[in-house]
Amino acid sequence: MTDHQATPRPDALAWAAGSDAPEKNVLDLGFMALADSAPLIVAATQGFAQPYGLTLNLRRQASWAGLRDKLLSGQLDAAQMLYGQIYGIHLGLGSPATAMAILMGLNQNGQSINLSSALRGAGVTTGEALRQRTHQSGARLTFAHTFPTGTHAMWLYYWLASQGIHPLRDVHSVVVPPAQMVAHLRAGRIDGFCAGDPWGAHAVDENLGFTIATSQSIWPDHPEKVLGVTREFVEECPNSARALTMALLEASRFIDESVENRRSTAQLLSAAEFVNAPVSTLEPRFLGHYQDGLGHAWLDAHPLRFFADGAVNMPYLSDGIWFLTQFRRWGFLRDDPQYHELASQVHQLELYREAASALGIAVPQPMRRSILEDGKVWDGSDPVAYAHSFALHALAERQSLAL
Amino acid sequence: MLRILLINDTAKKVGRLKTALNEAGFEVIDESGLTVDLPARVAAVRPDVILIDSESPGRDMMEQVCLLSRDQPHPIVMFTDEHDPGVMRQAIQSGVSAYIVEGIHAQRLQPILDVAMARFESDQALRAQLNARDQQLAERKRIELAKGLLMKMRQCNEEDAYTLMRRQAMSKQQKLIQVAEQIISMHEMLGN
Repeated sequence: MTDHQATPRPDALAWAAGSDAPEKNVLDLGFMALADSAPLIVAATQGFAQPYGLTLNLRRQASWAGLRDKLLSGQLDAAQMLYGQIYGIHLGLGSPATAMAILMGLNQNGQSINLSSALRGAGVTTGEALRQRTHQSGARLTFAHTFPTGTHAMWLYYWLASQGIHPLRDVHSVVVPPAQMVAHLRAGRIDGFCAGDPWGAHAVDENLGFTIATSQSIWPDHPEKVLGVTREFVEECPNSARALTMALLEASRFIDESVENRRSTAQLLSAAEFVNAPVSTLEPRFLGHYQDGLGHAWLDAHPLRFFADGAVNMPYLSDGIWFLTQFRRWGFLRDDPQYHELASQVHQLELYREAASALGIAVPQPMRRSILEDGKVWDGSDPVAYAHSFALHALAERQSLAL
Repeated sequence: MLRILLINDTAKKVGRLKTALNEAGFEVIDESGLTVDLPARVAAVRPDVILIDSESPGRDMMEQVCLLSRDQPHPIVMFTDEHDPGVMRQAIQSGVSAYIVEGIHAQRLQPILDVAMARFESDQALRAQLNARDQQLAERKRIELAKGLLMKMRQCNEEDAYTLMRRQAMSKQQKLIQVAEQIISMHEMLGN
């Protein structure tokens, strides 16, 4: 028995040998209790990293702000992060600016906007009814997302605006860690939230709320979590970064390979030390089964996914730029930034290309074309025009981000 | 405040370091090196640093230092009058972080201890990296062994064997290495 038999392709191991050996071979990985942490948890526990000379220590974090702080202080080497969060840190929106890097995409889809059962009881079960409710006099509704510049804030704002509700003027927004959303809903402290699964599914299963929009209904196959590190880490440990990307690519491929693999991934994740949620809540979403708490159940055409032959994992520049256009739209950025240059600094395309190619995974073009729920086309070609094209916006304002 | 376990490994000069350490404001617990069971005392006293004051460190003391560095690594500083480079090398190999020949002054103690602790930390980090590398290799070998056994038992190819092992591990909320060990034990028990 020889060592090289352990890996799928002998040439994949070339990185782990000799001069391409990881500069750092034990990595602390931050993750949140979410379904989309699956690639990290599967890679770390199922032997995907050893062939690359890495030991991965999983470190669960209680909040996205805490995760950011530990990554910036060096207590974490790499982490599951929100697409927009990376840019927020890179641009210094709400914390001192630190150069950041995106190594790969971890998943698409699988988030949702959920409203309380009290609103359902009051007949607010459509976007139109919600718009009317928010424009009535009386107390403003409070919605929670998970991080000021994160994906959930952007999905929530985008969806509310598409329903004619101004997210910064017509409602209150608060930050709540994803795993605490259901408790906040139960206590009546919030009227709704946007977060990743399984927390939307959990609110539905507990009959505390209902899903008014899935994130994939806003943008089918939208970007979501990424593998994030500081720029300093990529510069000091490029081989560790490449090896980690390869291990996570293989884990992602494994998860999406079959229904059985998705099912056992859900079982693994439900453990107390990982997501700590019932298998009965996690598993349906891993299999694409959705129900909204309003009596509708469906097999989603754009479910939570991790690989799709690498289409999920490519760190598309156009995906990154989209978040920048939304920061501009909502006044987090007072001026239009150098959209393309910024994304090219943050996305580690060359490193990703090396990692994916070594595993025989296709590397798509760095710009992709999407059509969002409101019919708008996003292909990254004219970010300035796109950022200024929305009826509801806060272009003239500067938001203060309380973290 | 640093807690120091001071070992006087020489009968005549007892007290020369203790006074200096006390003056420098350290908490000192002292012991005679001629009778001490070093690992046991370290476990009981839980010092931050161990200082050994020895005219000429003997074989017994070195052995105790070796045992300590293996089982409960600590920063160890040795003050001695021994100039012999062979003894010095042996001391460093046994796990001593700093080896100071002659001249103990209260004002020099703090920087000596700082250097010893920094050196100890970087040694530990390096050792942790090497241990992790050994463990990675050991785990890979066990996983491959189990995979090979499973391929024979199930008449399947390598990829299928990995997938079977991983599914089993994940559905039981275990690591792959745990399932590999179970396959190996089962195989041994069945006497193949």
